[in-house]
Amino acid sequence: MFDQSGTAIMKSLGSFFLLLLFGSGLAWAAPTADEILAASDAIRNPGRPFSVTVTLTEFQAGVQIDTSTLISYSRTQQQGGQFSSLIRFVLPARDAGKLMLKNGNDMWFYDPVGKASVRLSPQQRLLGQASNGDVATVNLAKDYRASIAGEEEIQDGERRKRKAHKLALTATAPEVTYASIEMWVDAENNRPIKARFFAESSRLLKTAYYRRFQPQLGVERPTETVIIDGLNPQSVTIMRFSDYVARNIPEAWMQRDFLPRFQPE
Amino acid sequence: MRSFTHSALCSMLAAALAQAVPALAQDAELDALNLQSAPEAAPEAAAGAKFFVEAAVGNASQRYQSSSRDIGRVSLDFSHSTRLAPGWRAVLSDRLDYVHPADQGADATVNSLREAYLSWQPEGGSTAVEFGRINLRYGPGYGYNPTDFFRDGSLRVLTTANPFALRENRLGSVMLRAQHLWSGGSVSAAYSPKLANQPSSDGWSADLGATNHRDRVLVALSTQFSQRVSSQLLAYKAKGDAPTVGASVTALLSDAAVAHLEWSRGSEPDLLSRALGLSGPASARNRLAGGVSYTTLGKLSITAEYQYNGFALSQSEWSAMGSTAPDTQVAYLVAAQRLQELAPRHAYLIYLTQKSLGMKELDLTAFLRVNADDHSRMAWVELRRHWRSFDLAFQLQQHMGRSTSEYGVLPDRRLMQVLGTYYF
Repeated sequence: MFDQSGTAIMKSLGSFFLLLLFGSGLAWAAPTADEILAASDAIRNPGRPFSVTVTLTEFQAGVQIDTSTLISYSRTQQQGGQFSSLIRFVLPARDAGKLMLKNGNDMWFYDPVGKASVRLSPQQRLLGQASNGDVATVNLAKDYRASIAGEEEIQDGERRKRKAHKLALTATAPEVTYASIEMWVDAENNRPIKARFFAESSRLLKTAYYRRFQPQLGVERPTETVIIDGLNPQSVTIMRFSDYVARNIPEAWMQRDFLPRFQPE
Repeated sequence: MRSFTHSALCSMLAAALAQAVPALAQDAELDALNLQSAPEAAPEAAAGAKFFVEAAVGNASQRYQSSSRDIGRVSLDFSHSTRLAPGWRAVLSDRLDYVHPADQGADATVNSLREAYLSWQPEGGSTAVEFGRINLRYGPGYGYNPTDFFRDGSLRVLTTANPFALRENRLGSVMLRAQHLWSGGSVSAAYSPKLANQPSSDGWSADLGATNHRDRVLVALSTQFSQRVSSQLLAYKAKGDAPTVGASVTALLSDAAVAHLEWSRGSEPDLLSRALGLSGPASARNRLAGGVSYTTLGKLSITAEYQYNGFALSQSEWSAMGSTAPDTQVAYLVAAQRLQELAPRHAYLIYLTQKSLGMKELDLTAFLRVNADDHSRMAWVELRRHWRSFDLAFQLQQHMGRSTSEYGVLPDRRLMQVLGTYYF
């Protein structure tokens, strides 16, 4: 009896020490770069279909030169997990009601007055302000492989010092806008702080700061992104995100033929 | 020695620059963080209404007279989409044009009730049913749309030669339409009944005779083969005519290039018979438009398009008509415009847009239409400057070609006009 109990106790103790030795090790194992990136994506992007109002303010050499407003309706694709977005332009008034669809490389511009759907090339879309949305709402973990490039203390978008993981992102999907990305993620809470987006030629295309974290759809999310042009740092765009609303957005809406049917709420 | 000093100086300068540039970029980044976003737009800005007023003044120089004529126009353009109840929506779109001088036999003031329809679409659903005057338009072509089956007679006023801007004036047809969508495709059917016998010249008429002068049915199937290729198959039947089939494809060729192809085939009288209201024999022919668009990093987009209309007059038929009945040539061209048909058998279009030409708010749009049969040409150029709620544009249109050619036979040689548009 004793032997049996003793054996059982010894087994339990053994299991306890094994758990202490390896289990705690697992619990304290540092998250991988890909896990940090995915956690950072989840902070920027709600995990369900949603709409958000985006106010874009453009500056040149510190002087405000333009503002525009659009509403983005987004959901993740059933295949691939990337975002697809339907953007409705609100302001300026000349562009009111125009739509832009991005479903991977299936991109369309639609003018409700002329009823014209025009297929866009990625380059055509990249030249417009809508492409800045890619910097803000994109699931990077789906298209990039991350590695930890170091731990750094950097200034965040509100000019406070933050301890951050520096991630180096390399594209795994062939049809992404940026060939590589450097990303700084808050070591404390995985919030995105800053990112630098590069072309295949290693030319810096954009620098983005994520700031003004506020509760939106249940999570503290960045409600402003400051985007600095890589070629001309005097050219700055601030994207402000407001009015996040969870919505029922079927995947069938993300196609050209739905554009004339689209009914804004 | 001098060379060595020079080289050393250059090296030092380069080293200093290499140090300074990242530092400057860093400073610019920190400066950017001090910038503040503009306030968010008022919620009413997101409402589905759009209203603008446009005025144009200009001059048209004549080809066969020394005098020129003044031209002018004032337009009010309104469109509104409103939610009546969950899933129900009403759409109204109207345009009023005052044109000086008015076309012969037409009113100076012309109202175009473009759209007025009710739409039912369950929230988050993928089926829609619509009824009323609906502007149903198909086809990716820039300057000619063989699969745009509801195009004939849909323009009450021609305010521009730009094919994209021209679509903004277009009347819808009264129809019952249903569409079902699924991931990567859709099917839709439309029935448009005959409601009147002929178009109205009354400026305030809803002009149902222009758009609903016979019973028509259209079925369209859209398929997205991949993120790079999508297509549409269409079948169309108008009462009294044989069925017409059509197809279109768009494809992403590269990061900067997009291709489109649009084709239809039907059996009907040739364009001259339709233009003159004659009941000519029907024969099966093709219509086609296909092109490639390329966008540079400098915001320049160029499209080259080939257009073909098997029902149009051939060059020899056109020439023969010019020597025997030159007035019929003009009647043929006017009818082709009304029916939005391609007048020559073969044509080319080059269409380009340059955004931010020298300054952010200045856009250039230009196109060249070439009659491939008689080599006559029409060139059109617009410079448009944007302000927050106001656009100012200058347009130039030039017709070039022999006096017996498509563009040479037109009375206007050159049109110039200045336009101002205010958006409310």
